[in-house]
Amino acid sequence: MKFRMRFMKVYRDLTANFSRSLMMASAIAIGVLSVGSILGAYAVLTREMARNYLGTNPADATLEIKGRGIDQHLVEQVKKADGVGGAERHATILGRMKIGGDWYPMLFFVVDRFDNMTTNRFTRISGAWPPPTGTMLVERTARTVMQSDEGGQVLVKSPHGQLRPLAISGVVHDPGLAPAWQEQEGYGYISLETLHELGESQGFDELRIRLTNHNSSPQEIEKVSRRVAELARSEGYEVEEVQIPPPRRHPHQSQMNAILLLFLVFSFLTLVLSAILVSTSLATVMTRQVREIGVMKTIGASSAQIAGLYFLTQVLLALVAVVVSMPLSRHTAALLIAKISTILNLEIFDPSIPGWVFGVEALAGLLIPLAAAAIPVWRGSRVSVREALDSYGVSTTRFGVGFLDRFISRLSFFFSRGFALALRNIFRQRWRLVMSLGLLAAGGALFMTALNVSKAWDVNLQKIYKYRHYDLEMRLSEPAESRDVISAIQSVRGVSAVEAWQRYPTAFVQDVPYDIVRVYPDKGHGSFVVLGVPRKTNFVDFPLLGGGWLSDSGGNEVVLNHTIRFQAPNLRVGDTVNLSIQGRPTQWKLVGFVEDIGSTGATAYVPAEALANLAGISPDTANMIRVALDDRGSDAVLRKTRDVEDVLGAHAHVSMALPMTLIRNAIAEHMSVLVSALLALSVLMALVGAFGLASTMSMNIMERTRELGVMRAIGATPAVIGRIVVIEGFAISAFSVVLAVAFAVGLSSFLGRLIGNMAFRTPLPLAFSSLGLGLWLLILIVGSAAATAIPARSAGKMTVREALAYL
Amino acid sequence: MNRDGLATRDAIAGTVIDLQQVTKTYHAASGPFAALRNVTLQVRRGQMVAVTGKSGSGKSTLLNIISGIDHASSGTVLIAGASPPNMAENQLALWRGKTIGVVFQFFQLLPTLTVLENVMLPMEFCNTFPDQEKARRALALLERVGIRDQAGKLPVTLSGGQQQRAAIARALANDPPIIVADEPTGNLDSQTARSIFQLFQGLAASGKTILIVTHETEFSAMFETTVTLEDGQIVGIENAVNASREEVEA
Repeated sequence: MKFRMRFMKVYRDLTANFSRSLMMASAIAIGVLSVGSILGAYAVLTREMARNYLGTNPADATLEIKGRGIDQHLVEQVKKADGVGGAERHATILGRMKIGGDWYPMLFFVVDRFDNMTTNRFTRISGAWPPPTGTMLVERTARTVMQSDEGGQVLVKSPHGQLRPLAISGVVHDPGLAPAWQEQEGYGYISLETLHELGESQGFDELRIRLTNHNSSPQEIEKVSRRVAELARSEGYEVEEVQIPPPRRHPHQSQMNAILLLFLVFSFLTLVLSAILVSTSLATVMTRQVREIGVMKTIGASSAQIAGLYFLTQVLLALVAVVVSMPLSRHTAALLIAKISTILNLEIFDPSIPGWVFGVEALAGLLIPLAAAAIPVWRGSRVSVREALDSYGVSTTRFGVGFLDRFISRLSFFFSRGFALALRNIFRQRWRLVMSLGLLAAGGALFMTALNVSKAWDVNLQKIYKYRHYDLEMRLSEPAESRDVISAIQSVRGVSAVEAWQRYPTAFVQDVPYDIVRVYPDKGHGSFVVLGVPRKTNFVDFPLLGGGWLSDSGGNEVVLNHTIRFQAPNLRVGDTVNLSIQGRPTQWKLVGFVEDIGSTGATAYVPAEALANLAGISPDTANMIRVALDDRGSDAVLRKTRDVEDVLGAHAHVSMALPMTLIRNAIAEHMSVLVSALLALSVLMALVGAFGLASTMSMNIMERTRELGVMRAIGATPAVIGRIVVIEGFAISAFSVVLAVAFAVGLSSFLGRLIGNMAFRTPLPLAFSSLGLGLWLLILIVGSAAATAIPARSAGKMTVREALAYL
Repeated sequence: MNRDGLATRDAIAGTVIDLQQVTKTYHAASGPFAALRNVTLQVRRGQMVAVTGKSGSGKSTLLNIISGIDHASSGTVLIAGASPPNMAENQLALWRGKTIGVVFQFFQLLPTLTVLENVMLPMEFCNTFPDQEKARRALALLERVGIRDQAGKLPVTLSGGQQQRAAIARALANDPPIIVADEPTGNLDSQTARSIFQLFQGLAASGKTILIVTHETEFSAMFETTVTLEDGQIVGIENAVNASREEVEA
């Protein structure tokens, strides 16, 4: 075999120092594992999400009809319209359910024909199909919120009905909806007859359409929807709103893509980090074997042949890492897929990871370490024969020549001899020092960034409480007399303040007599509301992003939140904003933008009086009551919510009670996977970083075994040698921490911006986790002590003769 | 024999090492340092030459220049008809592997290869023999240096003398015309050293040109010629056969 000898040399070099080789292969394996897991999960989840969501036949548009219910004749007419591939009538009712004394929102989806659903389909898991009148099917994720299951019943209340038990006759899966436990609400599927039994008299008020062309753009969908709306209007229907959600995109699609892409970047960084770590180790191995390199060159090896040997070393290590980590990555990807699919309410029909993922994983696992090794191998293999043969293990770098050396020497005057020696040693091998510092700083920066972003996420969630000085929001199905409601709630013990607000859905005025909005069928994702703010409110003081807050004049002023600013970046303070409210076009002067973390979507704040005037609403009524409590603890808030509901019941129909803690939990649940995955990644980073530290430090000592022997020969005790090398380890660690903190701040800012915009439509604040810094310092201290202590101890134990003969 | 070298005019046709006015200057932090100064030396095929001198006299530099490990600052160097300074790095490595066999004081066998593999390695690097021939040749060389029975062992299990024999076998792997050895017996006892020198004698007799840096005066009779260096200059050339010594003019 032509290359047998070279292969044998590499193989025996690797096995001769098994623990070092194991560490190097493990480092690459961690990187490959993280890339494979994330890439595998990304491939399966994007495929399955599309399959799940598109499998529901999501409506391209939904027309909200006001007044009389939609009859089958209109549906048939619409089906024949140009560009329409299918039409179906529906209704979505926001009711409530009472679970163990607490009220939760309950979405009822009223289905026309369970046996012939053409849009927004869901699949039966168990139980009756269709649900008998007087019963409902529930979405599988709603069972935990409802604390009930098939065969059980739930206390529900429709907007105009009474509280009554409703039996659960079956369970379904609706992949078009976010999990109910995430939204903290119930999902029920009922017939129109059941809706009537619940006390509602309305008919179907939603006309869902699908276009003939399933790949239509939003503009094409809007064009066809407008035609359908005109058709409905010509049939005597009042079209209130046309809802066009982003076509063919799951409500959480962009978030999931962004999160997984973010993880992918992190995992590749882990692999790069591991590869650099291994290359640093390889560079040290080459330094130790420099005389072997010299000998091989003397007997005829070219630089390319030498480089080939060490590339082969790297290839073998990477190959082992890839072979070991690939099957493991299947399992970790499966775990990740299971976790994320639960969070996204997806059914994984096909869990198989596509072949290209393994291809990319293998290529990345082999090529990235090779690329990282290129420079050190190139440098090491080009050493001249004379330099190589002259190497005696005592560094030949000429310390003392440069300015930095002289500076360090002067600085060393202030320290003990041992410390001074350690300090000078650090700066002897500049290239290695740069590699070591870069490695440790990168590991530390990624570790701290993961914890910083996690903390920033928490800080942002805390803004819900910081800028909202109320604890409970009660939404009413019909406006009620503000004075009555306020005095009733004020009678509840523990209530410190009450304010009456207005809340209405809105949209930018179009050239048609109905609104065109981007909301999803769950009415939550993509919604836009206008809030009538009481004069001199004390309940909110949102941070301003531009302009100012509403003046006390009560004029036609509007303040828009960050979500609208994100969606309509061309809007400027001073612009006129035309909003359609209650079917009326209204005009407002834009006075400012605010960041209001905790709002469920786009929100416009206007003075309550002006809203009443322009939208034709009675100024003495309110449909949203906000309540501040003396005790802001989450248990107390939940308790008081019941008390407030009880007294409010006499004056108004409550459609939704929203304790702030519930909102916070709902938002936290939305991105819990992000935070936990970031923490998991930080552990990986810590692991790679600790490997890096151990490798750098131990190689640093091993490389100087001969020099340590010289020191022993001139009287240094093992303890003195141990002290010097441990100081070196600590000093390198200390330098790396400074760099790591600087990198971490930049990276945290970048990621905070990315994740914040994705999740909240506003950047996350720059937060610095002292826990992250503390943990990293601990890792460095323990790691550096362990990594230096062991080789220092062996060096100390080695006899002078052994040390001097050490190659 | 002329005043500048070893070979007579008659022998020049068989010259394998031809140095003319070679100077080597190193530039250290403390300033320039001349390791060799105007050295002129010619060595014939089959000669066994000892290079002696005190520490720092330029012995190793001379060997390094002959073996292409280092290059002269000035002067001309012709080794087996080739000029190493004019070769590119990779070309030089291949040339050295085929032309010069180097033996070190500390043997420098690769610790993770067996003795046999160490001997086969130069053949693999220079691709000088067919694959099936390499092992057979390596075993023959080990037989020649008397350690064939050690072929499958790792170097660390061999005695110093055995390791040096293995190193000599490795130096012969590509059948180079020249062998250079830098204090090859410096780390061996006198008995073993004698056997090593005898081995070199045998090689010289077979036509190899041998240059050995050594301090071992007791074996000087085994050398055909002894070159003495001092402060980078050849200060004496002693021919054991003629028992004559010519002083070199400064």
